[in-house]
Parts: sequence; structure tokens; C-alpha cells
Amino acid sequence: MLPTRWITFWRDHLRDRWYLLVPVALVVVGVLIPLAYLLVRAAQADPDVLYRLVVRMRTLELLWNTVALTGGVLVGTMLLAFPLAWLTARTTLPGTRIMTWLGVLPLAIPGYVMAYALLGATGSQGVLNQVVGLPIDRLHGYWGAWAALSLGTFPYLFLNLRTALLGLDPAIEESAQALGYPRHQVFWRVVLPQLRPALLAGGLLVGLHVLGDFGVVSLMRFETFSYALYLQYTASYDRIYAACLALMLLALTIAVLVLEARLLKGLLYHRTGTGTGRPATPVSLGAWTGPAYGGVGFIALTSVVIPAGTVVYWMASAAQTGVPWGGLGTALWDSFSASAPAAFLAASLALPVAYLSVRMPSQLTAGLERIAYLGYATPPLAFALALIVFTLQVLPFAYQTLGLLVVAYALHFMAEAVGPIRSALYQAPPNIEEAARSLGRTPLHAFASVTLPLLRPGLIVSVAFVFLSAMKELPLTFLLSPLGFDPLALNVWSYANEAMFADAAPYALAIMGFSALFVGLLLVREKTTSRQTHAAPMS
Amino acid sequence: MINKTWTVWSVLGAVLLSSMALMGCGTGDDADTTDAESDELVIYTGRSQALVEPLVEMYREQTDREVRVRYGSDAQLLAALAEEGDQSPADVFWANTTGALGNAAEEGRLTDLPDDLLGMADYFVPSNAQWTPVTARFRVLAYNTDRVDPEDLPSSVLDLPAQSNLEGRFGWTPAYSSFQDFVTALRVVEDSASAATWLADVEANLDPNSYTSNTPLVEALAAEEIDAGLTNHYYVLRKRYGDAKVDDESTIDPEAPIAIHRFADGDVGNLALVTGAGVLQTSTAPEAGHDFLRFLLNTDAQTFAAETVNEYPVVNGIDVPSYMLPVDEALQTSPEFDLEQLRNIDGTLDLLRNQGLL
Repeated sequence: MLPTRWITFWRDHLRDRWYLLVPVALVVVGVLIPLAYLLVRAAQADPDVLYRLVVRMRTLELLWNTVALTGGVLVGTMLLAFPLAWLTARTTLPGTRIMTWLGVLPLAIPGYVMAYALLGATGSQGVLNQVVGLPIDRLHGYWGAWAALSLGTFPYLFLNLRTALLGLDPAIEESAQALGYPRHQVFWRVVLPQLRPALLAGGLLVGLHVLGDFGVVSLMRFETFSYALYLQYTASYDRIYAACLALMLLALTIAVLVLEARLLKGLLYHRTGTGTGRPATPVSLGAWTGPAYGGVGFIALTSVVIPAGTVVYWMASAAQTGVPWGGLGTALWDSFSASAPAAFLAASLALPVAYLSVRMPSQLTAGLERIAYLGYATPPLAFALALIVFTLQVLPFAYQTLGLLVVAYALHFMAEAVGPIRSALYQAPPNIEEAARSLGRTPLHAFASVTLPLLRPGLIVSVAFVFLSAMKELPLTFLLSPLGFDPLALNVWSYANEAMFADAAPYALAIMGFSALFVGLLLVREKTTSRQTHAAPMS
Repeated sequence: MINKTWTVWSVLGAVLLSSMALMGCGTGDDADTTDAESDELVIYTGRSQALVEPLVEMYREQTDREVRVRYGSDAQLLAALAEEGDQSPADVFWANTTGALGNAAEEGRLTDLPDDLLGMADYFVPSNAQWTPVTARFRVLAYNTDRVDPEDLPSSVLDLPAQSNLEGRFGWTPAYSSFQDFVTALRVVEDSASAATWLADVEANLDPNSYTSNTPLVEALAAEEIDAGLTNHYYVLRKRYGDAKVDDESTIDPEAPIAIHRFADGDVGNLALVTGAGVLQTSTAPEAGHDFLRFLLNTDAQTFAAETVNEYPVVNGIDVPSYMLPVDEALQTSPEFDLEQLRNIDGTLDLLRNQGLL
């Protein structure tokens, strides 16, 4: 049954696009290695011990905590991301570019730094009480984790939504309005359904991030699955039962992925009429300008200013030790030399995966795309251990090299790159690509000259996502980097873990500053393109 | 025009990718050749980079060898060593916890150390002769000086559950290795049943906050989220005195209103624990490993540990800062205890799991 399907698929779609198979194979192998590793390790478990560990009330508690936190953070990020996306994509509000930039910055802040910042801001001894006289209980538990994760991950949703809003063809909205629908109905019945791929892609990243988070939940003392998983590795130096827990976590993720696939089925959002799409006319906010700025200000204050301010405060208390410029330079270069190639590699891998799943929808390509997400959902420690086993067996010369680290980052974070590209592809009409082919271009040439330019905003967001994640990544870096590799993230963690916050501060600021710069550069490039695209009609 | 910007974009990507590939191959070849000739010393350490790097830098100055360090947590590195198996490039395992060393020894990853090396440390040398202690730390009860009168604190950790003034204001770290080592010691000194009762009583009477590790616990203590908590002595000292290097406690104001309470001499609540290091079976340069271990026990390295990290030396004749309890007095507070016995962690994990703490 299946082989026939593969053969048909090959004949129909891939014979003249065989080169797509190279990245696709890399993705499948790269993601299945950790999975196979986990299965092998889990199979070594003693069933009695496993039963005692897994079948108990605590597992249910953890499950409930994990689900409740994921759901809560999804709602929280939606509330933050949606208004911000609309403001920056659809209004005449001055300064939308800066707002966009501010809306990405929380991704530059490591989760545990965000948690420490919120812990330092609240409570009777907290900054808010000491300086402003605002006595809030010191954050902890569900709401603490909820706040830190919502503030830290909403950019995933925000950027996905914004890209989709920018690419939305206003003609449909206008038709609906012409047909007499009031504005709010147009929004619910026309705009929102079109945003579904972006909502799902962003929501999926937020959800997977929460499922896998350890830094925030541990500091906020809220026990989820990934927390239990960490304890299993730490408490008993045990990788076998940890593998069992990791598989349980993956099962949870697969449930989410299946759900998302259901919701995504049968979507088609590109133009089918003649002519070319145009950007929507931005709305003038009038009397709402003040409240809009107020809202954006509040989001920026809580998600960027408080954590960045906290780190600056740490730094100020380190006046006597001074800034370790030399160490900072090497660390910055190490961070960059792994994160930047990983970001481009991840985007290049995600492109064929997303292309196949959008343009040649079938169970096969949908499955392929889900596989990309599994890599993201595999706990990074297990991912790293799997790659240790694999490289030492198969490619021993690659062990502990920068190349391996880059590939590991790219495979692990590729899921972050798939969503934005996929959303952009849904909006890119396939008929111009077909037109280009009928004019005699090869599929690759037609894609590169016609579709690729339309994907650019999506690609930029993809690169930014992966870059920012790789800059902060810890477990993969600890175990897979070349010996002596000393990036910013490891420095921040090492000092903060020893409560040497003053020494951690310069490195944390470097991560934030450099990430902000990188994202800023990407966004500037995005602006020039969208102007060019609109100025030059492509027919 | 669009194609032009795209060309720039793809060229940039291609350059980055190929440079990465080149660097990757470069490092690969490097590692290959140096490994074979083994003129390199590879250290895997669960201690923080912040505490290790200055020492390694000192060591680099006195050796011809290339010294490379892999950082991580004890657990991460033990898992990595297990997966690397015979192909591990590591020579030395330098652990942050006694339990991790016990695990490494039990799994047969460590080699026997030469007698002269084992003779260097004056305290805490394990009977299995496979690792040497490097520094010592003590379990303590930390409290907030603005909120608690030390007179009210108990003289035995076993009396903690009766401390009703700490109800809802007490913190511990049930998932953290040094706490687990303490519970193991409790099981050995008393018995498993009393240890279970103690855990249950603390849970029932004090409604404690569980922190993942000592740093967040001490932060919470300074922020008045809790009034007292069980931790290791040096976290309290570092938070109280910050980065200030002082010899006389009276000359500076504490940076945080927290202090150490010690239980009566010999109480298991004052348990001494050690960090330590051993040479791995996979080492291609065991002599170099021994040399590094000897370095860690010399006066400079031991003084660094005392002054910078506020841990205790394990060799006689090293001065500690005056705000630390002198070495001999500190040693007297801990019960006589063979650290080998801390190996039996499974019973402890079972207790913690039964109590719903893990």
C-alpha cells in the first residue's frame, strides 16, 4: 500500500525535483536518530521500576500542570501578540518598525534571566515595591511560570501573525464589506480564518516551547513534565528512565501535532483571481492612538525593559570587577559562529519541507512536516546524547566539532523556521510559478525567480527565530560543542548558577544587544523588500 | 532588482555555510591528531566555569600541554561519558558532588590513583582510592537576620519540624544532590524510618517551598519569600559578602541580611560534603591527569577555593578568610562519616518519591 503511494508521489512530484530529497533526507535522519536513541534506551528499562515511576498520582499531577500551563500560556501570548501584530501591520501608527523590533526582543532573553528578573521585581523586597511602592507577592507557581513564559514566547506568535497580516489580500475583506458585513464580522469571518496557518504555526512553537521549558518552571517552582525529566537525569544519573519520561513528553507533543494538522487541513489562502495582490490600506487610529501606545508601552516594559533593566542593575553592582572585554569578544564570536550558520542552515532545510507540504499536500508530506516538529520536541539533552552515540559510531571525526554543533542546532530548531515559511507559502499563488514554467523555466528556476521573493519576509523571520534560539541554547552546547568552545550563553548560565549575577551581566547584555542588532538588520532588509515587491508588479 | 538582493542573500548564506564546514573540518582534524598523540589534557567538569576557568588558566601557565575543558552538570557529563564509552576523549572527571564521584566509581569509569596523590589531601579521602577530594562544604541552616532570632533556631536538624515559627516560611532543595546526600547521611546515622518520618514531619508542619537548587533558595531567603532554609554554607557567604574580598567581617556591611546557623557539633545537619576529581579509564594521558589533580591540591589552588568560592580546603595549613569559621572548628561540627556511604542514593530517592518530592 504505502510503497505504491510513494512511487506515485515520486512520479507525480519529485522526478524533476529530485534535489529536494537531499535536505529532506537529512531532516528525516537527523530527527529520527534521537527518537531511535530514546526507544533503545527506554527498552532497557526494568518494567517493575518503570511501573513504579510512571504509574502514580504524581504523573497525573505533572500531566495536568503541563497541560494547564501550555493552555494558559497560549491564551496569554495570544492576548499580547494579536493586538501588537495588528498595530504594526495594519495601522498608520508612527514607529511601527520600532514596535516590531521591540516585539521580537523578548526572544533574546534567556528564560531563566526573564524568571530571575520577574522574581527580582516582585515581592516585598522587589524593585516594584521598593521603588514604586507596588506590593505584589513574589511571583511563583503557576502564575509565575505563566507570566515569564507568556512574556518570553509571545514573539513566536506575534511575528507569525504579523507576516500573515502583511501578506493578506485586502480584496476579500473589501468584498465582504461591500456585501454589507459590519467590521467586526469581517474580522471574525474573513480575516481570522485566513490567519489560521500563522496562528497555528506560532501557537505550535509557543506550545512546544512551554512543553520543553525547564529554566522558567524550575525557578518558579512549578512542576511540569520537563521538570520531572530533568530531575530524573540529575537525581539518579539515570538516562534510561529519563528516556521513558522523554517519550511520554514526546507522546504529549505528538498529540498536539496531530491536533494542529487536523486544524490545518485543506487550507488555501493565495489569490486565485488575475492581477497581483496589494498591501491593505493602513487604518488610522484617531482617538485610539494614545491607548495603543500605552498598550505597546506596557508590553515593552514587562517583556523587555524589566529583564534588561534587571541585568543592567546586576552589572552596576559589578562596577569594581570591571567588564571582561577580552572574554566577551571571544564568547561573542563563538556564539555567532555557531548560531548564524545554524540559522541559515535551518531555514534552508525548512524551505523544502514547507514547500512539499504546502504545494504537494499528501499524508506523506504532512508527515514529513510533523517530523520536523518532533526534533524540536525532543528534549535537547536526549537529542545531544543521541548525537553523541551516532557521531561516535558513524562519523567519529565529526565528534565535538563546530560543524556538528551547527547541524544539531539546525535540526533541533528547524521547526521554528518551518512555520513562517509555510505561512508565506500559503499566500504565494502557485499559478505564477506555473506560468513561469510554461514559459520554459525549470521548476527550480521558476521557484527561485517567482516564489522565493514572495517568501522573503517568512524566511527572514525563520532565520531570526533560529538565530535567537541558538544564541541561548544550553544542553546541546554543553555536550556537543568543540572542547574549549565558550559562547555567551554558557558564561551567563555558569555565573548565574553560582549566584554571581554581576559577572553574568555583561554576557547576558551581549546576548541581548547582539541579538537585537541582528534582528534589527533583518527587519530593515524586510522593509526594503516589501517596498520593492509592491513597487514592481510581477505579472 | 529582486533577483539581485536574492543573490546577495544566498551568497551570504553560502559563505557562512562553507566557512562553517571548513571550521568544522578544521577542528575535527585537530582533535584527531592531538588525541592520537595525547599531548592534550581533556577535563570534564560539573563545576561551574566561573569557578574552574581561573584555576585552569593558572595550570596552563605551568604546563606545556594543551588543556581543554568541557563544562556541564555532573549528571549531563556522566550521561555523556556513558554514551561515549571507550571513545571518550576525556582524561579527568572533576565533579561538583560526592554522589557523582560515587556513581563514576561504581560504573567503573575511574582508575586507581597513586598513593602519593591520595596522601596529599588530609581529610575525606575515600577508601576506594579512585578519586581525591578537592574542596569541602558544609550543610547549614541559613536564615534571614531581619526576620529570625538565631536564639530561636534548634540545635539539631531533627528538631526542625517542631519549629512552628517557620511554618510556610521554610525552604529546601529536595531535587538537589547535596540535600539528597544529607538525607542519605540521615538514613545512615539514624535509620531509614526516622529519615522518612523527618521528611514527612517537615512537609506536614512547615509546608516548605521546594527550590531546584541552592542559588534560587538563597535569593528567596534574601527577598524574604522564606525565613530559613537548608543549604550549603558557601551560598550564604557569597550572597552575604558578594564579590567584596575582605579579610575582616566587621569592616563591611553585609550585602544581604542572611546568615548561617550551625547545629550542635556532630549533628547530621552540619554534614561535610566534598567536591573531587579522578582520572578516567579512557584517559590516554593518565600521568597528565595525576599532575592536574596534584595541582588542584597545591597551596595556590586550595587558597583560591577558600578565598574566591568560600569552600574549605582539604589540605592542612591553608588560611581561610576570617568571615569563615576556621577549618578545624568547621570540621568539628560535622559528624564522623565515611563519604563512601553516600553512594547508596537509591533508598534516598525512594523516600523522596514516596513523599511526593521527586
